Amino acid sequence: MRALCWTGVNELAVEDVPEPRLLNRQDALVKVTASSVCGSDLHLLDGYVPTMMAGDVLGHEFVGEIVEVGPDVRERRAGERVTVCSIIGCGRCHYCREGLWSLCDNTNPNPGFLETLIGHATAGIFGYSHAMGGFAGSHAEYVRVPYADVNAFPVPDGVPDSSAVFASDAVPTGWMGADLGGVGPGDVVAVWGCGGVGQMAALASLRLGADRVIAIDRFPERLAMTAALGAETLDYREVDVLDALKELTGGRGPDVCIEAVGMESHGTGAQYAYDRAKQALRLQTDRGLSLRQAVHACRKGGTVSVLGVYLGLVDKFPMGAVMNKGLTLRGAQQHGHRYIPMILDRMSRGEIDASPLLTHPMSLEDGPKGYELFKEKREGCVRAVFHP
Amino acid sequence: MAAGVAAAVRKARAARPGPATWFAVTVQAEPGELTGPDRPDALARLAETHEVRVTRAPGGRGSEIAVRAADGRTRQEVRAVKQLVETGEVLVVEGQPEGHRTMLGRAATPAFRHLTRRGPR
Repeated sequence: MRALCWTGVNELAVEDVPEPRLLNRQDALVKVTASSVCGSDLHLLDGYVPTMMAGDVLGHEFVGEIVEVGPDVRERRAGERVTVCSIIGCGRCHYCREGLWSLCDNTNPNPGFLETLIGHATAGIFGYSHAMGGFAGSHAEYVRVPYADVNAFPVPDGVPDSSAVFASDAVPTGWMGADLGGVGPGDVVAVWGCGGVGQMAALASLRLGADRVIAIDRFPERLAMTAALGAETLDYREVDVLDALKELTGGRGPDVCIEAVGMESHGTGAQYAYDRAKQALRLQTDRGLSLRQAVHACRKGGTVSVLGVYLGLVDKFPMGAVMNKGLTLRGAQQHGHRYIPMILDRMSRGEIDASPLLTHPMSLEDGPKGYELFKEKREGCVRAVFHP
Repeated sequence: MAAGVAAAVRKARAARPGPATWFAVTVQAEPGELTGPDRPDALARLAETHEVRVTRAPGGRGSEIAVRAADGRTRQEVRAVKQLVETGEVLVVEGQPEGHRTMLGRAATPAFRHLTRRGPR
């Protein structure tokens, strides 16, 4: 079959690879019908995640049809159209039972790297480096799904692939950002980053009753899309974000600050130049510009909810602000399983439509071009989605 | 001064966990399931070569299995026991689709696997 492989830093190729087979009794094989790029893939592409090997199949946000199930799969069956959570859970360990699926104890067969780096291993993720389990990704004609009963979710009729594909990651991640922030009626929420996840965090905040959502980015088309969801927007190249947020919130600062940018944050001024230089020299692994800003902006006693992917160390982290302002700092890879059934249900009732994120439907053969458009944000690309 | 530094280094070395360190995992199972005659075969085999301690975990989190002097391979076996007890299978990733591996990649794979799977020890 054909698959999009990482072949080196900023190098991708579509290659012939063997078809997957059932490797465990609770596996299913899924024929992929749509598989999206994700901002977090760019950290792999750019070489910031050191456990990639040339030949690894990328992709973790996808929808497809089950074509085969293992003998111990009880709930799922061949022929079902499913969204598969990008995070792989086992459903039985303490963390999965508590709804903390991305902290699953059992789905990362390569725990050594993360245990050394961050103290503990977290869940496996499709197509997301050997540190995250070394699972083959979904930018392929077929993908193997472990523990299929808990990781594959039937898509209701009437929800198109163009929306259902984002129920795999962007929508539940965004929803979790608002949920971890405890967003509710009366809240003012600020969202850093208007990519797929940031837009969905803004939408989730509004659905959870936030009074106002203020979204921050630099790309006019992304700001316009987020405004269309009902958010106010700030272009950080045109305004001083900290001043603007204070003005917009009567001097308080946002109640909840959702950071949906991550370790390759862009910005302006000396702080941005400093971060880029230190990261290029590998003196820090992660650029923390938007995270620092979120912490600084957050109201006293508020919550900073971190969705952007960070790998290791952020320099100049304002711990003094966290402590003295009494902030709550939350973060996680998505606990998607907690939200996906609700999200698919809302999609079927028309309360969530994620399909505007899909700006560039493409064939799998065009994968390298899709990533280039996405990375460089050319042609208004928010998400390129491959249809193998 | 030099003597002080040397003493500090000796002290730090002494404080480092040695090979007698326990490696522990928490398993969603009653202690009785892990200690009685019906305990998993893999756990029984581990107990033949290692000191194994099973205690109840606090907060309804099942049991704690601790194995003394666990090297990389043993830690992998302990994790496999946990996964088998909790989920009924041990997840494998060998045999998945992969694209062209470079010569360097193929040569480095064993060391790479060792590092990602078992950690630096």
